[in-house]
Amino acid sequence: MPVLALDTSADIGVCLIQPSPGPGPGSSSGPAGAPASWRMPVVLAERRVTEQRRHAELLAPLVAEVLAEAGTDRREVTAVVVGTGPAPFTGLRAGLVTARTLAFALGVPVHGVSSLDALAAQAFAAGLAGEEVLVVTDARRREVYAARYRRRGPAGPDGPVIASGGTAGAAADATAPDVAPGAGWLPDVELLAGPLVDHAEALAAEAARPGTVIVGPGGLIYPEHLPLTPGAPLLVEPAVLAALALARAARGDALPTEPLYLRRPDVVPSAARKRATG
Amino acid sequence: MPDASLVLGIETSCDETGVALVRVHDDGNELLTDVVASSMDEHARFGGIIPEIASRAHLEAMIPTLTRALERADVDLGEVGAVAVTAGPGLVGPLTVGAAAAKALAVGLDVPLYGVNHVIGHAAVDELVHGRFPERVMALVVSGGHSSLLLVDDIATDVTELGHTLDDAAGEAFDKVGRLLGLPYPGGPHIDRLAREGDPTAVRFPRGLTAAKDQARHAYDFSFSGLKTAVARWVEAKQDAGEEFSLPDVAASFAASVADVLTAKTIAACRSHDVTTLVVGGGFSANSQLRELAAERCAEAGITLRIPPIRYCTDNGAMIGALGAAVVRAGVAPSSLDLPVDSSMPLTHVTV
Ligand SMILES: [Zn+2]
Repeated sequence: MPVLALDTSADIGVCLIQPSPGPGPGSSSGPAGAPASWRMPVVLAERRVTEQRRHAELLAPLVAEVLAEAGTDRREVTAVVVGTGPAPFTGLRAGLVTARTLAFALGVPVHGVSSLDALAAQAFAAGLAGEEVLVVTDARRREVYAARYRRRGPAGPDGPVIASGGTAGAAADATAPDVAPGAGWLPDVELLAGPLVDHAEALAAEAARPGTVIVGPGGLIYPEHLPLTPGAPLLVEPAVLAALALARAARGDALPTEPLYLRRPDVVPSAARKRATG
Repeated sequence: MPDASLVLGIETSCDETGVALVRVHDDGNELLTDVVASSMDEHARFGGIIPEIASRAHLEAMIPTLTRALERADVDLGEVGAVAVTAGPGLVGPLTVGAAAAKALAVGLDVPLYGVNHVIGHAAVDELVHGRFPERVMALVVSGGHSSLLLVDDIATDVTELGHTLDDAAGEAFDKVGRLLGLPYPGGPHIDRLAREGDPTAVRFPRGLTAAKDQARHAYDFSFSGLKTAVARWVEAKQDAGEEFSLPDVAASFAASVADVLTAKTIAACRSHDVTTLVVGGGFSANSQLRELAAERCAEAGITLRIPPIRYCTDNGAMIGALGAAVVRAGVAPSSLDLPVDSSMPLTHVTV
């Protein structure tokens, strides 16, 4: 039951994972009836292209590559997971329309998860100190996208996790990277504020609140206002998106794939004007 | 099992999300269905197409439009044997959404992908209406975005652009003149309506690029920007002098100039290239004076005139499905999955 996950909120990440249902070691029990956690999914194949422009050109070939590398027939894919941003418009749309259409073609569900959720979960999984995480990413135009999170459920190291215990069945495959390197467990996250788009300077006070961990590429661009916590994750891991999506879907959450644009369109008519009957 | 002869076409070069299903036959391709969703209403208040609004609308319309097309044709997605998509020319944001969707279908269905030329699609769609093209046809593609004269030796492999507009497209000139005459956007259809009540010989407006000096370099090129300026000057002069004038006469005289230039150059091109079939496509082929003058001049010159019904002249999936079917029939190699969209795709390229 492989799941394909992709994110185009900044660069391009695509991966194919094999989820491992069933409680992982050391996991707490979840809400009634819903599985609280999985073993860490196995990453069957993964591609990342650090390119911020040609999402629509590169994405489909990367999807074909991960399927080929994993030796997975496309018809075995059971769900498609996509990062819903926030992100600059064109690349984000390429990811969303690809995920929706691919799921449509395969006849499987498509799940959307905010790309910032993944970075927040990665921060907790990396064992960074702090009660709350402020995720900041590049919104261009001298602005950042930002959202504040805490762990879902009781805080602290004993809170519930959605995946743990290393990669189930992956022992034989030493090349499969961990979904959440370091802690070996992955919590779900709860949005406290945002997502919003603003100047880095306007978020400085928020970032300076005690106990706040700052993660995401926005901190690289505006270190004076948004100083990164050492070891902060900078890239959205599609496998984490997938783990979050599967846990939430199992809980019965709706996972819409609506884009988080956060900005209104610029209303400058195109130079190549066209009449209604084009 | 996919049927190699069933082509799904996707068009998103501007504000219309179009999806069509076309079946390839030896004697002429068959349109099974053609579904279009438009975001035009959202642009009207801005007086032009807003690319970002159009792109957002394409994303939201893609799956519903695909679903409706398959339902109407009573076809299962798994039967589709090839996917064709507009690779250009057009607006980058909108083109990108369609291309990404087409690629996802190609991967998800494991079928070949063909990135095709939108403008050539405007000519190809006529094959769905009037049957396969003869060996050689001339195509005049006129709309708000394009004004091109194409010599088509093979719609799938061999198209030569003889000329194009050097400034405004024909439909664009209509919209601009509509604006200066105080008509609502888009002005084209309003001018056409007014023109039908006016005297086309009332004012002699200039015919762009028809002077002897332009024959060498621009025999088959068009220019409508000087005409637009001439109309503006004429109207301003009348207004400054406090003279009354007939709006229908101005509209009719302006439209007559556009139709005269388009048809005169096209017929001349047919004559000099020994072509006896003319296809007129694109949304501007709805224009009354163009239709009448083309019919009259083709009859005089012994040229067979083919103009598809207006619903196939506007942007739609049928034109892309038609061209996709033509390239499948011709055995053209599929496009690469990493095909880029090209906002100014040259008209010498039928596919990418
Ligand atoms: Zn067009």
